[in-house]
Amino acid sequence: MDVLILASEECDTAKEIICAPTNVIELFEHKHVFFSIGPLDFNRTVILIFLAMFIVIGALYFAFRKPKVVPGKFGVMMESLVSFVRDDIAKGTIGPEGGKYAPYLLAMFLFILVGNLFELTPFINFPITSRMAIPLMLSVFTYLIFVIVGFSHNGLAYLGQIIWPRSVPIGLRWLVGLIEFVSTFALRPITLAVRLFANMVAGHLMLTLLLASGWLFFASVGEIGVRAAIGLPWFAFGLLIFVFEFVVAVLQAYIFTLLTAVYIQTSVHPEH
Amino acid sequence: MEEIKGAVALIGYGLAAIGPGIGIGIVVGNAIQAMARQPEAATLARTTMFLGIAFTEALALIGFVLFFIA
Repeated sequence: MDVLILASEECDTAKEIICAPTNVIELFEHKHVFFSIGPLDFNRTVILIFLAMFIVIGALYFAFRKPKVVPGKFGVMMESLVSFVRDDIAKGTIGPEGGKYAPYLLAMFLFILVGNLFELTPFINFPITSRMAIPLMLSVFTYLIFVIVGFSHNGLAYLGQIIWPRSVPIGLRWLVGLIEFVSTFALRPITLAVRLFANMVAGHLMLTLLLASGWLFFASVGEIGVRAAIGLPWFAFGLLIFVFEFVVAVLQAYIFTLLTAVYIQTSVHPEH
Repeated sequence: MEEIKGAVALIGYGLAAIGPGIGIGIVVGNAIQAMARQPEAATLARTTMFLGIAFTEALALIGFVLFFIA
């Protein structure tokens, strides 16, 4: 079982096995810069961010460049996506005035969806949302929007509703208010970002471990002989997880958008 | 203590996953019950179920991240 020990202790660079990061900092840093334009360093993640951006812009542009009464297959798909975000998520959650938040929600939903699906795209195999900067940036935008919307719709009463909730018995108001304050202004953006980030890291790690270990067994068939068949169930399980990760990628994009809509809704109508 | 650091983090993540596991079970179970009793309200129940799952799951995911940081 030399192979297993090798795989667990250090990278077997001769066989081009993807290794676990040596420390966790790599999840938060941008390394391996390809080229730089001014202060912008372009590494694989940044290039993929731009690729995701162009895919989203291109898909929307080609679908709605010449609106037809009877759209083609691609047009129908994009129209159903847009109407799903606008009607189900924005208007369904926020209410009739949710339409004006639909462009933001749509842009975010499509960007996260494409970014998540990079995890399963052959030859890319890397979800850009598994680098903390991207979900954090998106959740900071959401945070700014729901705080600003809260204050502009309700004035200082927005803060009052959270710190001193009228629907709670008076003895408990300070405690509930404290919990609500911390959860609204500190925990919401963090959990929103960490939820997407951790889901994508977990899926990426699982796929990498299962598929790479399966492949490692196959590749070392010369050394370990018939025992290389151990890799077969690993690889099969990895393919199962592959399908599962597709569901997770779509679901996490949906949940991120839905939670953004819910947060905006609680700022528009804080009494609910 | 340094040698068993990884193992302690694993146990910690295992403990952190118990609560959300039970919680997601309760959320999904009750959502299925609601959908079965009132199929016309299934859309609402499903949306709320995903919200509940997302909030409950956050605890496990924070544990997952701490497992790497530890």
